[in-house]
Amino acid sequence: MQRTTHRPHLLGRPVVVALAAAVALTATACAKSEDDASDGKQSGSSAAGAEQKAVEQKPGSKTCTIDAYGAEKLDLKGATVGFSQSEKEANPFRIAETQSIKDEAKKRGVKLLTANAQSQFSKQITDVQDLLAKGADLLVIAPLNSDGWDPVLQAAAAKKVPIVTIDRKINAEACKDYVSFIASDFVEQGRRAADQMIEATGGKGEVAILLGAAGNNVTTERTKGFKERVAEKAPDLKVVFEQTGDFAREKGQQVTEQLIQSKPGIKGIYAENDEMGLGAVAALKGAGKKAGDVKIITVDGTRNAVQGIVDGWISGVVESNPRFGPLAFQTLDTFTKGEAVPQDIVIEDGAYNTDNAKQDIGKAY
Amino acid sequence: MAEATLRTAPLDKARVLQWLQTYGVYAGVALLLVVNIVITPHFLSAENFRTQAVQVAPVIIVALGMALVIGTEGVDLSVGAVMALAASATALYLGYGLLPALLVVALFAAGVGLANGALVAFVGVQPIVATLALMVGGRGLALVLLPQLEDLRNPALASLGSGDALGFPYLILIAAGLALLVAFVVRRTTFGRQLLAIGDSRPAAELAGLPVRRVLILVYVACALLAAVAGVLATARLQASDPTSLGNLMELSAITAVVVGGTPLTGGRVNIAGTVAGAVLIQLLTATLIKHDLPPSWTQIAQAIVIVCAVYAARGRGKR
Repeated sequence: MQRTTHRPHLLGRPVVVALAAAVALTATACAKSEDDASDGKQSGSSAAGAEQKAVEQKPGSKTCTIDAYGAEKLDLKGATVGFSQSEKEANPFRIAETQSIKDEAKKRGVKLLTANAQSQFSKQITDVQDLLAKGADLLVIAPLNSDGWDPVLQAAAAKKVPIVTIDRKINAEACKDYVSFIASDFVEQGRRAADQMIEATGGKGEVAILLGAAGNNVTTERTKGFKERVAEKAPDLKVVFEQTGDFAREKGQQVTEQLIQSKPGIKGIYAENDEMGLGAVAALKGAGKKAGDVKIITVDGTRNAVQGIVDGWISGVVESNPRFGPLAFQTLDTFTKGEAVPQDIVIEDGAYNTDNAKQDIGKAY
Repeated sequence: MAEATLRTAPLDKARVLQWLQTYGVYAGVALLLVVNIVITPHFLSAENFRTQAVQVAPVIIVALGMALVIGTEGVDLSVGAVMALAASATALYLGYGLLPALLVVALFAAGVGLANGALVAFVGVQPIVATLALMVGGRGLALVLLPQLEDLRNPALASLGSGDALGFPYLILIAAGLALLVAFVVRRTTFGRQLLAIGDSRPAAELAGLPVRRVLILVYVACALLAAVAGVLATARLQASDPTSLGNLMELSAITAVVVGGTPLTGGRVNIAGTVAGAVLIQLLTATLIKHDLPPSWTQIAQAIVIVCAVYAARGRGKR
């Protein structure tokens, strides 16, 4: 593509590429979406007061020091940090996550190299190898998969580059192959959603769960926590319906439509992400229900869902915090100074309900 | 009725299979209706039938186009991507008003249909490969245009998705209208005849002097336009444009509806009423399992059983 000599038989590919680019360009050039006039969109990631904190460590939890890991001390300021994102920044979580890393790097005056694997694991492996080759002294990785990291870990170990993984874990030895793992506790999110559900429904009646995608650890853990807490604190609250909405709004809407047809007496719906919860809201609206007839509790904390609380359709949102930047850099800073850092760090997730939704909506991503 | 026919007929396997091929899908729908009326609480209500019909409408519309393509012995895997593209384009151009946005959507869909048709008719690429390319590329383009879900508040679009005329939601009326139109085209027009002739034997159609390439391109454009209609309607119903997940696996639902409805994959025959019934059958099956809170994996297994039965019946026909 770089060459400028146009031989006839080479024309095919550039023409196709140019055509595709032209389609994309002309399509967006004169586009006019609804929001163009009143651009109310803001990136909530830099919102004040949305700093990320770690949950207090339990005594006796494992820590890691730079000597045990075998790296060398350095000053984070002036160091080069490589960040490898797993998925395209096409959903609020990933957008906020990447933005948070970038913001924190800027704040601390760290040189940041970024790469995005676009949901392809092989690309993520080469991404990280590239980051190492470009001279990253430290790595922050949001892994796409848990397995298959050996080639990268070996390359990083050879260069003695410390690695912090965020939001998903790498199946490897902590403090040997990587330093720390920072993430939300999904089981705890389920428990807190159950608490909100018990409060909203008064602990009695029938509730439904809109499950996430099948075979996903987020789904199993958010379900486990919810059911545990309901069984323990409100035995009168019965889970009578559990169907997957695949983490998608349309599927959440369709399943909820079936649900309210066959079980008109349902009191609450626990949606394992905001999108399915918003689908449930659409279904309830379509069925002529009023805001608050069915209590909806969701997990994630996107702006749309928190707006749903303000509008009265959603009763509570448990946050799954995507702002890993401050905590990731704090961990790297402590570690590179030679102090001990925990091997597993759990982020503190916020929560939204009718009391704080209005003033805290700026914190939502 | 099913049992009566089975008992009176002597053990004539071919006739049973033929009966199943033609009427099996209707018997299936009837059976599911009866079972649900008996075992599912609150099933027999206007609200419920409305819900099922509204949910199945986009699948029916996509399946109509798919039936046409399958009638030419092709297949169109890009329908889900076209739905996503329609959703993106709707969100992108809604600022001009609903009608201009719909025109742009139609342009995009026609573009995909033209590309599919040209690859099949002129370049001679196998339909499954040609449309696979557009399936991947189409969704990619949809995501380039609109990388993430966007809420839409256009009142005209909202009423298209949830409004009704004389108690019938627009979605159902549009699906019914399109089904009648496509059935008419297949049965009563030259274009329909040519389409089936090509499906029967493309070389023969070419020798007979039919405009094979033109018909093929038109068929793929029609299929893409129908998918775009479904995409716009689904978007209108959701009041949000979600190109990441809208239309996912829709190609499989549509092919299932067509095959279960008795249209052979070998082309040359199109059964529109059966296609509609096939989509309804799958919808009722899914609804039954969801309403009784059975694990989602059961839905997939049940669908697989229905498909195997349909293909078995079709095999009998192919042998004759």
